Amino acid sequence: MARSPRRPGSLRRETAEAGLPSSAAVREAGVSDPPIQAVPAPISGNEKPPAASRFRIFIVDSGWNSAARRVLLENFALIRDLQKEDPIYVLNRERSIEFMRRHGSRIGRDPIIAVHDMQALGKGGTTGFHGFRLSLGLLRTPHQALMGLQAFARFLVTHRQSADLEADIRANLRREGLMGAIEIAMHHEAREIGE
Amino acid sequence: MDRFGEVLSVVLGALALAYLIYEIDRRKRKLSDLFHVLGSEEADISAELVGMVESGELQPYTRAGRA
Repeated sequence: MARSPRRPGSLRRETAEAGLPSSAAVREAGVSDPPIQAVPAPISGNEKPPAASRFRIFIVDSGWNSAARRVLLENFALIRDLQKEDPIYVLNRERSIEFMRRHGSRIGRDPIIAVHDMQALGKGGTTGFHGFRLSLGLLRTPHQALMGLQAFARFLVTHRQSADLEADIRANLRREGLMGAIEIAMHHEAREIGE
Repeated sequence: MDRFGEVLSVVLGALALAYLIYEIDRRKRKLSDLFHVLGSEEADISAELVGMVESGELQPYTRAGRA
């Protein structure tokens, strides 16, 4: 059956259906709003990711009341739909806080989205290159956070079949650095990532 | 006076170049902080996450699971 066109506000409804707070709820709740919660239920039906997913995505969010967190909450359903081939593991608040306590240098950088490249993990384990992470919490404005999230989603979708993900990431970072240098030289405003 | 102008130009040029190098380096560090490649430095953290998945402690997120 064909899917009906998305109506305005449907994303918010989907977010609510998915158990994530709406933006209004987030605003009302302020600091004490609940973080994305891990789902203890097993995957089922058509939502099951393929056995050989290229990526595993982990979200660590200890619950800071930040613009980055609000952007992630509001766009989580879309991110999940875009990455439906890959399982997303969301650490709940307690696990995220425990994680941050063990790795204190990461505090304030969350929400963190870590992506494990299963192809690289299969070859060399965690001792060599095995993925990348986006420290979304470092982006202070909603616009920056949204740009970061979009760049992240775009990168994953366009590099799913990459034979050498590490080389692609490093080439992208070099390109970003070069473009940044050109923009500094031309006195342009700070460049957002991902373009 | 001409000599002074030349020296001033060289100093200003050097300052501009130094600023450019500093700014590029700052942005490079910021970008790599934001978008970081996982390697041996993060082996422990990644192994911890892998362990959580393999032990069944973490399950994939599903919308169905929310119903």
